[in-house]
Amino acid sequence: MTPVYLQRGALQCALSNDLAGASQAMAGGQRAEGRPFALHELRQPRTYLNVPGDDVSLDQRLDAVVAEALGADHGALSDCLLIVASTSLDITALETLAGDQGQFLPSDSTPLDLVAEQLRSRWGFADAFTLNTACTSAANGLLYGARLLASGPFARAVVLAFETPSALAMQGFGALDLLSPSGHYRPFHPERDGLVLGETYAAALLSLEPGDAPLARLLGGFSACDTSSLTTTREDGSHIDWVMRQALKSAERTADAIALVKLHGTATQANDHAERNGMLSLYGEKMPALCVLKPWLGHTLGACGLSETLLLMQALQQQQLPGLDYAAEASLPLSGEPVVLSDGAVLLANFFGFGGNNASLVLQCVGGAP
Amino acid sequence: MKVIAASEIRGSASTSDKDLKAALGQWLSNPPRRIDRLIFQALLGAAALKEQVRSDCGLYLASRHPARPTMIALLEAVCVQYKQPKPFEFVNSVSNAAGFHVAQQLGLEGPNLFIGAGPRVWSQLLGLARLDVQAGVIGQALLLVVDECGDFCVQGVLLEGDGELAATSFAELTDGVDVQRLEFGFTA
Repeated sequence: MTPVYLQRGALQCALSNDLAGASQAMAGGQRAEGRPFALHELRQPRTYLNVPGDDVSLDQRLDAVVAEALGADHGALSDCLLIVASTSLDITALETLAGDQGQFLPSDSTPLDLVAEQLRSRWGFADAFTLNTACTSAANGLLYGARLLASGPFARAVVLAFETPSALAMQGFGALDLLSPSGHYRPFHPERDGLVLGETYAAALLSLEPGDAPLARLLGGFSACDTSSLTTTREDGSHIDWVMRQALKSAERTADAIALVKLHGTATQANDHAERNGMLSLYGEKMPALCVLKPWLGHTLGACGLSETLLLMQALQQQQLPGLDYAAEASLPLSGEPVVLSDGAVLLANFFGFGGNNASLVLQCVGGAP
Repeated sequence: MKVIAASEIRGSASTSDKDLKAALGQWLSNPPRRIDRLIFQALLGAAALKEQVRSDCGLYLASRHPARPTMIALLEAVCVQYKQPKPFEFVNSVSNAAGFHVAQQLGLEGPNLFIGAGPRVWSQLLGLARLDVQAGVIGQALLLVVDECGDFCVQGVLLEGDGELAATSFAELTDGVDVQRLEFGFTA
């Protein structure tokens, strides 16, 4: 694959309303304050990680991160593609409508491309579409956005990824018994008890050119569908292993060239088990440095491919990626000490999702330690 | 790339999921259970092309709307009745659930993407499929578009080869191609 730069990124997440602040907060050991909610009927409490600030509309949030990613001097966007990656889209507005009306009518349903079309019209993007492959949506947005740039039709691409605090998601994952009762988000911990959902709004500007201060370089990636189960991937990790190998092949790198693997790590029993097996298949016992980011961001579902990539690359560039406080107890050798990578170091980032979608990205540090 | 097969399934608003399931039985011996209308529709569009589809095929699926009956059931359960959603309805509401079932039933091993269908849906699906074909990731690409606004329409094309192909509509793509057609519930 032709390498593509992440020229600029913007992130609003539970840690902070900006990327630099989120990275600093993570480095300082700060965890986001979760907000409790109750599962309907069961009346059991669960935790949700909200973005700071309640009185900001979805349009305001999206415009803010798009503006930040584009930069002040972006000019006309007639050469720029927009890819919207989200599982929630406008669902919180529809939830409010259903609650207010006491029903939801077929005519209340909005098109799945509504948000993308509104943004295209408002900002003047050359083209826009919504990509939805569950929790790999944004990872696929980065991968296909980068490849569309290299194939010619666009000079720039903005990948916009977000997840709103949707009642359907909170109650739906609750109904599947996948949410953490303890609220302690601990992927790969032997006593992990599920995921904690998180809100996020993120955008990245992709280009073949580095720009003034690029955040990272995307070297390759791969995405495919494991058809063994709609909600889990193969327990033996074989599909995850295959996807990681194909991602490395697309980037013309080998597994031993990888300095760090950012694991998907949802902290559900099945996902962590399968990912552990996939890592053991690829690396055996001798693994590169490993990290997870969901303890800080929550699981940002379809947006995690971008929210986690941006936070990871910013933290590495600023030498702020902390160790994990429970690393010694984890079922994979996660780093307990801060991870520092040098300029040009290559890493792998995993993202898996419902619908059998598994994706891996190969990223390169730009900046970081000399 | 060239179109080697195409399908078009049309149905009236009154076509029931039971009708769709019965029709699916002619192509699939063991269709999935507890699936929703969008999944039925996508499966029908794909199953009509089953004979020509190989495992090295990617799926590029688009729909204008989610399955409305599923969304109504979920939104009314969660936001009106304050009940837990039914797990299978929640899982079906994941937009790529339809793509998963198509890939599983047809044995597709390639990438599996879902996009919201808008005015430029065919050129967008073609653009994504072209990337994977040209990179050698897949040998075939199955493009499916589902649109239900009252009556419904599912259009599918199966592409093969690495030549250039530019089209902005199903009609343009299938010009000169024998399209497998199926209709439900329309009277003359």
